[in-house]
Amino acid sequence: MILLKLTQNELYKIFSLIRSYIGFVFFTIIIPLILWGYGLGTTHIQGQIESAVSEMFFVEGSPTNGFTAAYFVMNFFYVHIPFLIALVGGDIFAGEQANGTFRIYATRPISRLSIFISKTLATMIYTLIFMLYFGLLTLGLGLIWHGGGDMLVFHQGILILEGGDAMRRFILAYGFSFMNMALVSAIAIFFSTMVRNAIGPVIGTMAIIIFSLMISTIPLEVFKNIQPYVFTTYFTNWEKVFYDPIPWIDLLRGFSFIVANLFMFLGIAFIIFRRKDILS
Amino acid sequence: MSNSPAALECHGLSKRFKTIQALDNVSLQVPVGSIFGFLGPNGAGKSTLIRVIAGLIKSDAGHFTIFDKSSHSGHKVRQHMSTLVDRADFYKNLSAFQNMKILGRLTGHDQEDQINRLLDLLGLYERRKDKVKTFSQGMKQRLGLAQALLPNPKLLVLDEPTTGLDPQGMHEIRDFILKIAREQNVTIFLSSHLLHEVELICSDIALIFNGKLAAQGSMSTIFQDMEDVSVELEVENSESALKYLEKSKLASDIKPLANAISIEIQHQAIPELIRDMSAKNINIFSVSQRNRLEKFFLSLMDKK
Repeated sequence: MILLKLTQNELYKIFSLIRSYIGFVFFTIIIPLILWGYGLGTTHIQGQIESAVSEMFFVEGSPTNGFTAAYFVMNFFYVHIPFLIALVGGDIFAGEQANGTFRIYATRPISRLSIFISKTLATMIYTLIFMLYFGLLTLGLGLIWHGGGDMLVFHQGILILEGGDAMRRFILAYGFSFMNMALVSAIAIFFSTMVRNAIGPVIGTMAIIIFSLMISTIPLEVFKNIQPYVFTTYFTNWEKVFYDPIPWIDLLRGFSFIVANLFMFLGIAFIIFRRKDILS
Repeated sequence: MSNSPAALECHGLSKRFKTIQALDNVSLQVPVGSIFGFLGPNGAGKSTLIRVIAGLIKSDAGHFTIFDKSSHSGHKVRQHMSTLVDRADFYKNLSAFQNMKILGRLTGHDQEDQINRLLDLLGLYERRKDKVKTFSQGMKQRLGLAQALLPNPKLLVLDEPTTGLDPQGMHEIRDFILKIAREQNVTIFLSSHLLHEVELICSDIALIFNGKLAAQGSMSTIFQDMEDVSVELEVENSESALKYLEKSKLASDIKPLANAISIEIQHQAIPELIRDMSAKNINIFSVSQRNRLEKFFLSLMDKK
């Protein structure tokens, strides 16, 4: 019961901050713009795809429809979404210390574990809402704007996914993306417990992500050996749900690695927070 | 230590920050129903002790009890206690009422009528819907007191509650503290380096220097033990009073002031002085002891 109330408090605090809406505003502007640009940019290739594919298959709807538009948009936001997510996660502990509000909050007869869990839960709920909004805008708006139909996936040839199947796979893809962003939030929380200002955790989180992204994407032999141990390697796993057959083992391995990292960062964050002297 | 029931008892609390021994085996007892002043110069360890009690920092050794609940029981020790540590800071983008609601929810004391009653008690009801960022420091301190009273605490711990306030704000907070103690039946433990402030409102005190407790007890006991006190006499005829005092062996360090005469005298000798002066037809309008606590404080400092 107390956890519920504490989480409710944390959500109330998160959504009373203007910074919590930056990501929503950003997506509300940029995604329709991309979808509009996508519509313009694909008009000339649509005919080519249709003529090439129609000799072999019957494709229902436009090949450059809402599904492919959403797929196209999702590919762009590896670096941007973590930054927007870290704005909230990075502030969750450090912001209270910087403002001095922890002095009141932490002196109540509540355990630090409860405070930690409630803040973590609220951050994860925010992340989920954020990713749902992202999904709604990319897929929802994409389908309204560019229509539905079959989805064309170019992976080791051309794969045509029937509309219903494509939708199910998108839900799965958003699920994997949410787990990636939950890990980003956990890293931001980890940094947030260590410092007393909200800027540090955002920079720290982004530094880790950019560094890991470089290791996991630079095609050098020396990096290839360590890539399986870098969490960003699995950030692109959502793409694999559109393969045929779906490589479940690969997906499960990546998912487990992400979850393990998430709990590792949260575990260390809790140890730091529990031992922390609140001096300001 | 006294045998009366204690709201707060500290036993051998110690805390070290790198090279600084902030608390060194501090033991003290705060009687139930008292307004307890915790005094010391800046950096003496007052805030450290309060932060240990408030659960903001962990002590290296020792323990404490609040109304018989031991600190070994974790956060439950603070069940009957509320604190206002240092200056009151709030969620600035939320209103006074919303801040109270959030903080009340932590302990299940977020009923609207209770919040409004406390805001009214602290003179903030009319501004309850205003964002805290529009509040003066004095108003924030009052809101700090209101939030601290929300869980109906039996012990209220205040760390330098008048810091950063102008004289009017300090006066208001002092009045509120007295009002709270009287009307809410709360034991108050407050730290301060303002001796005059403590002398005005506290019934009991403890003094800390360099992390070590130097003295503690009720105000009356402490002053009883003092030898010389500073007294101001307001008399009708200051010339004859001065002549008498200069001849008298009871008073020393005689200084004429604008509207009174300041003397040093043994506490026990004050009644005799008044009798003698009255017998010599020197009319006395008032006899007031001045800066007793300051004198006591400085004498302890000298001993250290």
